[in-house]
Amino acid sequence: MSAPASRTPAAHVLIVGGGGTGGALAHDLTLRGLKVTLVERGELTSGTTGRHHGLLHSGARYAVNDQESALECIEENMILRRICPGSFEENDGLFVAVEDDDMEYFQPFIEGCAACAIPTQVLQPDEALRLEPNLNPDLKVAVRIPDGTMDAMRMPLRFFATAKHGGADIHPYMEVTGLLVHDRVVSGVAVHDHVTGADGEIRADLVVNATGPWSEQIAEMAGVDVPIQPSPGVLLALRGRLCNMVVNRLHKSGDGDIVVPQRGLSVVGTSSWTVEDPDDLDVPEDHVERMYVEGSKLIPAVRRAEFRAAWSAARPLIGSREGGASSGRELSRTFKTYDHKETDAVEGFVTITGGKGTTLRGMAELCANVICGKLGVEAECRTRETVLLPHTAYYAA
Amino acid sequence: MSSSPPSGVPRLEERKARGPVRRKGIGPAPSGWLDPRGRAIGSWAFAVNRVTGLGLVFYLYLHLAVLSLLLGGESSWNDFLELATTTVFLLLDVLLLFGILFHALNGVRVALVGSGIVPHRQKALFWAGTVIGTIALVYGAIHILGDA
Amino acid sequence: MVTASTSATGTAEETEAAGTEAEATQTRRFRVFRFKRGDRAPHFDTFDVPVEPRTTLLEALRWIQLRRDRTFAMRHSCLHASCGTCGVQANGREVLLCVTLVRDLGHEITVEPLANIPVLTDIVVDMEEYYARFPEVHPVLRESEAIPQAVAPDSIDRYVRYEDCIECGLCVSACPIVATSERYVGPAALAAAQRMLEEPRGVDADGVLDWADHEDGVWRCHAAFECTEACPSNVNPAARIMALRGVIVAGRLRVPGRREGSL
Repeated sequence: MSAPASRTPAAHVLIVGGGGTGGALAHDLTLRGLKVTLVERGELTSGTTGRHHGLLHSGARYAVNDQESALECIEENMILRRICPGSFEENDGLFVAVEDDDMEYFQPFIEGCAACAIPTQVLQPDEALRLEPNLNPDLKVAVRIPDGTMDAMRMPLRFFATAKHGGADIHPYMEVTGLLVHDRVVSGVAVHDHVTGADGEIRADLVVNATGPWSEQIAEMAGVDVPIQPSPGVLLALRGRLCNMVVNRLHKSGDGDIVVPQRGLSVVGTSSWTVEDPDDLDVPEDHVERMYVEGSKLIPAVRRAEFRAAWSAARPLIGSREGGASSGRELSRTFKTYDHKETDAVEGFVTITGGKGTTLRGMAELCANVICGKLGVEAECRTRETVLLPHTAYYAA
Repeated sequence: MSSSPPSGVPRLEERKARGPVRRKGIGPAPSGWLDPRGRAIGSWAFAVNRVTGLGLVFYLYLHLAVLSLLLGGESSWNDFLELATTTVFLLLDVLLLFGILFHALNGVRVALVGSGIVPHRQKALFWAGTVIGTIALVYGAIHILGDA
Repeated sequence: MVTASTSATGTAEETEAAGTEAEATQTRRFRVFRFKRGDRAPHFDTFDVPVEPRTTLLEALRWIQLRRDRTFAMRHSCLHASCGTCGVQANGREVLLCVTLVRDLGHEITVEPLANIPVLTDIVVDMEEYYARFPEVHPVLRESEAIPQAVAPDSIDRYVRYEDCIECGLCVSACPIVATSERYVGPAALAAAQRMLEEPRGVDADGVLDWADHEDGVWRCHAAFECTEACPSNVNPAARIMALRGVIVAGRLRVPGRREGSL
């Protein structure tokens, strides 16, 4: 479908950041009739989006302590299955209690899920082992929830593909080197193109900062502050598909408490610490070891499985550094749009940040509403029902 | 499809143009197949098969040309026989035998693999052919050169 | 880089004794392919990079990008061999950056983009022509064969999983026929076609066979098996191409009046 013909030129929005949020936003705005240009310094999803374990979140992880996030997750989970058919390993997931202490969490967990309308099914150990024979045989109880696995790169790529075919211009390998700001009005970006080596300026009616953990760096270019705390975690991929359902530990969030099956791999995650610079990520060996230890409490075969890769990814957590969050786990996983006219008296600039891989469409809807409000565009969001093109369409001429 | 973009994206046409393509191979394309450097058994077999195939075709013409010497009578044929029994010539005969054996045995391997009968066993077939071929080559070489 | 434990303590002597040649930070020389549009010809830049025992090729190149040359472009996403974006040629062999250890490659490492696919910038290729070879529809999910004794829960027919193929292009880069023929569809596309016959998932099997049964399709392969050598995901494209041929040949040999399926 092509961009609608219009007599007055459509408002031009420039999105900085080619992760899941940027892609979903490009798609949403394009459906609403705006002209979208998106720039990303590397490959699409090469920031944080491509690196996560691929969990299609049921929200159950947050049902007790962060119900705002839990509600967002379960809603988006269901929407994504509709608009991205054929893109998820839809095998559901389990929360498994393996130690007696875990059982203290059982009741609050069931109640929390019920409060957030996350469907649950309680399973006794023998039932759980029939579904997943590789589980720790000493498990006490398991709860089935609608988790799934996504391809962390190809699922967001469907948003980019649909946006591109709808008329959006997507430019990977184009790095923003500065914002065009005059008298507290942002009118575009200065870019360096890594394909041609050229420098240029792209003007727009509005610039959106969708750079995840790099949000602060882009915001500084406009002289504004965004309370982002980059918070990396280590992930471990093992050869072999040790489970078909996502396996979680039934306890308050901790390290190494999830095993996500993904094609022929099992991904164990994760840990958490905070950094200043999201480009400078270590892979601490003791964190990797912790993945083996904690992961094998859920699935003993983790200990012996063949190593494939260990890496770090930086979550974009909302919350200032001065707030005293040292591990990052205390911060909420929800998302926020900042209209910098309201927060900092800078016109023409909006930041959308926070969130999780699963909530990309919901984040985009919220941000697009704010953007359309600012630009005086009256258009409804249509992303809940629009089925996306396959990821291969992104590469089709 | 995207409409003409807002001005500002630098050198857009250049960005969208088709870039250069890297090819493996010795020398200019299309020699990509003739570069077994860093390649595995299957590629070596394939490349040698092509070379021996060309070699055997060349030999066929050579053979026909030689046979036509018979038209010149006994003396021209005897001249040829003198050449044909020199050591260098006999060594070339051994090389020819190698070419025939390799092309034939690998040909059997390619036929079995390429028709979907035993595709998973391509390496085993190669080594089996190597063993048979080496025995045959040694036997043949001894007999060819034994009379030199 | 995978770094030593953040809680490591110890005297200098202990560290000395514990440290072996293998543990120490070493330097490796990298020759990386550089090309920007407008360049008359590509060239190679040389960098000396500090590496640890577990440093991957990706981490080393990121070090170059962050600390030596921010204009150096590279392609990556998942960092665990699942997205297939980081394929390159390292010392002439196709590898994925994220799971290749620098220490396994020797003291001088030459990094070039994949072959047979147009270069976008530096070591990044433009995957448009890679995907253009594929049949129009190819599903990425299939039945999960893992854990045979597992029973799927009610309301789920059977467990599903992503295909092994991560669309990395290493097979296309390695194939000597793709190197010489622009029209050959290549191992990745043919392997995808064979997988659709193995498990149709609602795809039109006859259509797939017609697509493959073509001089630039399944018959162009010369059994070099480079694709299977290069594949990081156990797809075995060469065997799949041969299996596809087997199906086509068996179909041609079917004699009217004989029972279906017998040869």
